Amino acid sequence: MIEIENLVKTYETGQTRTEVLKGISFRVGKGEYAALMGASGTGKSTLLNILGGLDKPTSGRYLLDGEDMVNVNDDTLSRLRNRKIGFVFQQFHLLDRANVHRNVLLPFLYADGYPADARERAERAVAAVGLADRISYRPSQLSGGQQQRVAIARALVGDPALLLADEPTGNLDARNGAEVLAIFQRLNREGRTIVLVTHDAAVAEHAGRVLVMRDGRIVEDRKVTQPRDAEAELRAIPVTP
Amino acid sequence: MRFLRVLALSCSLLAAHKLRTLLSVLGVAVGVAAVLLMVSVGRGAEERLLARIRAMGTNLLVVNAAPARIVAGRARQSEIATTLFPADAQAIVDHCRWIVRSAPAVSRPYLTTRESRTWKTTVVGLPEEGLRIRNLAVRSGRAFDAEDDRVRRRVAILGPTVAGNLFGREDPVGQSFLVGRVPFEVVGVTIPRGVDANGTDQDDAVIIPLETAMRRLFNVTSIQTILLEAASLEALGAAEAEVRGLLRERRRGHREDFTVQNQALLLAAQREASRSMKRLIGSVAGVALLVGGVGILAVMLIGVRERTREIGLRRALGARRRDVLVQFLSEALLLAGGGGVLGVLAGAAAGAAVSALGLADTRLSWPAGAFGFGFALAVGLVFGIYPAARAARLEPVRALRAD
Repeated sequence: MIEIENLVKTYETGQTRTEVLKGISFRVGKGEYAALMGASGTGKSTLLNILGGLDKPTSGRYLLDGEDMVNVNDDTLSRLRNRKIGFVFQQFHLLDRANVHRNVLLPFLYADGYPADARERAERAVAAVGLADRISYRPSQLSGGQQQRVAIARALVGDPALLLADEPTGNLDARNGAEVLAIFQRLNREGRTIVLVTHDAAVAEHAGRVLVMRDGRIVEDRKVTQPRDAEAELRAIPVTP
Repeated sequence: MRFLRVLALSCSLLAAHKLRTLLSVLGVAVGVAAVLLMVSVGRGAEERLLARIRAMGTNLLVVNAAPARIVAGRARQSEIATTLFPADAQAIVDHCRWIVRSAPAVSRPYLTTRESRTWKTTVVGLPEEGLRIRNLAVRSGRAFDAEDDRVRRRVAILGPTVAGNLFGREDPVGQSFLVGRVPFEVVGVTIPRGVDANGTDQDDAVIIPLETAMRRLFNVTSIQTILLEAASLEALGAAEAEVRGLLRERRRGHREDFTVQNQALLLAAQREASRSMKRLIGSVAGVALLVGGVGILAVMLIGVRERTREIGLRRALGARRRDVLVQFLSEALLLAGGGGVLGVLAGAAAGAAVSALGLADTRLSWPAGAFGFGFALAVGLVFGIYPAARAARLEPVRALRAD
């Protein structure tokens, strides 16, 4: 699914040249749930941007679902983002002046062809994250956890090859965070490929594999033998009034 | 299709910012309304002017019995010539192909008296044909006819100004008054014609039959003026040349002691004056519209700044630079177009109100409305491009991280 080879990213500001990614290689198979972990300043965000097709590496190779994500122009990359990647951000990034349904429909606006059943698909995606009864609410009328679930519905509505989550629990309390992680685990069980970026080891342990970054390199790549079960954790957290 | 869907979303986003959207739409609307109102007033004024010139007579040529000099832009008669006669008028209509009517005319200032009231006015002697050339119609009573002229009856048609000054609110028809010391009977009062292009009150005149004027009042054999009606407005130039040629021939060997004035030239001069006025007014209104455009610029720039993260999100979801550009541009056009529609309606309403209140004559012109609307769109495009391009240039990664 993800094939990355010897990825290098350098920034040049005036005379100084900063190498943020120093030759990264890894693969993520179809149906895998991988967590990318690292403290801030390790190049984690840069790698995430490249994975998401929001930025291009200085050199190296990156294939996503067989598509070259490096040697393409801006328009093609935009199309690939639309077709291949579903983003979930820490800040949710919902349009506050549009309702839940319209927010979830947003990716279709930029699809190659607007599907005839777009509205139904959006409704199904909203139902899949358990918000069918809130479909005509505005994001500001929802809790943080609900907002993040709307964002997940939006990420999934176009049925992308990769779900890319950037600190999805960073702005949520324990209970809402666990809810989101439970949804990810369920999606993964249904065969969805997920890459989750986090600085929090406890969050990363929910994935089946953890990649640890330090100083622009991947320093650790291990299977999680016993991933944490978000469902069970959710049950253990008392519902606070 | 994609464009329409993005636009539909833009509409709802703009609708969410009611006040700001309204203000920028209003800015453009005021500009467009101002343009439309000014053009309407300008056209109204022009039409009134044309009507006034038409009231002088249709396709009019005037021969004056003396060389005229142009002083301060107006023709001034500086000498008195006694070399123009009714026979000249007859010869013109007999020999000039382009002239359909001709009438000799005399005029002189006189003191008119009725009981204790006196009024200084101009007495004009005209044959019946002259009334037709000058488009003189009566409001009450009757006009005089060829028989009145032939037997030199002392009958008079009064301009409304004279009628008012001599008779007050009384009906003058059938009453008598004095021109100098000669008694006349009022047979009619003309329809008010207002002031002419030179500011002369056209209603301040007593009109009597030509023969009566020449033989019983002025005691002259020569005339001062010949009024001529050409076949058409286009023929005025040809007619003028024809008339000049004929009169020169009849004065073989003498110097040219007459002038010919052409209504078409007067018309053209007046039109030119009103046109430059219209241009001035139009450009003032255009500035108002530009100010509205600056409003759009400000609103769009604020929008781009405020919606940076939205732009980043849209890019992440697959929007190309072009999509973002088109979106912001069409939002600007939407604001401008809304302002345009509102402005056209407001301008039309304001024009109707100005007319109804009697402040000025207005003539609504749909081409001007379409122009105002088009100009509003152009303003939206011009002032929308920069913010839209700025939005499209944003790097998605940076845009997403903006505060």
